[in-house]
Amino acid sequence: RFQALGPASLSSESTADLEQEQQSRVTLRERYLRSLSAMAGRPVRFTMYERVKVTALFGASDIDILNFQVSELQTPLGIQREALLRCSDIIAYSFEL
Amino acid sequence: MTEWQRKTPLEWLTYVNKEIEVLAAEKQNYKGWVLTVDPVSANILLANPLENGKVSVSGILGHAVQEVKILSEASDAMKEKLAHLFMPGESQTYSQ
Repeated sequence: RFQALGPASLSSESTADLEQEQQSRVTLRERYLRSLSAMAGRPVRFTMYERVKVTALFGASDIDILNFQVSELQTPLGIQREALLRCSDIIAYSFEL
Repeated sequence: MTEWQRKTPLEWLTYVNKEIEVLAAEKQNYKGWVLTVDPVSANILLANPLENGKVSVSGILGHAVQEVKILSEASDAMKEKLAHLFMPGESQTYSQ
């Protein structure tokens, strides 16, 4: 299930290029993972498709960023105590630090 | 897969520390300083300093990104701030 993006660029390249590519992958990924852990427990506003906006407390994400686990999801139909948001339904999210 | 999702990590890295404008799905528009681009999901992470000293962080999902425009390059002070935003024990410094 897990598949890193951009694998095409890894073929037929020299070791130095490969190393450089892996190094940039590490830098980018580490910052992103740190942002997820900074987001845990904070209220996050999600902009979903069809102009739906919801707020929830962020819990965790799976490794391939396919789902976000959230709590106290405020929906037009009431508060859902625990929920999984499919990332394919989300356009953007924001929080304050 | 969109053009944005097909970029390589080296290409995404060139956007870090730049101020960009993103056009996303359903005509949603976002602007801010690029903290990182997740190499797995192609999600873009933007920072926008607020007047109260806090920072607003936005993530735009890679699959929803339609157009990315670079506006400007961060100053050294801004780069420093962006680099330390998520480092343990340092985020408080910016809320004072």
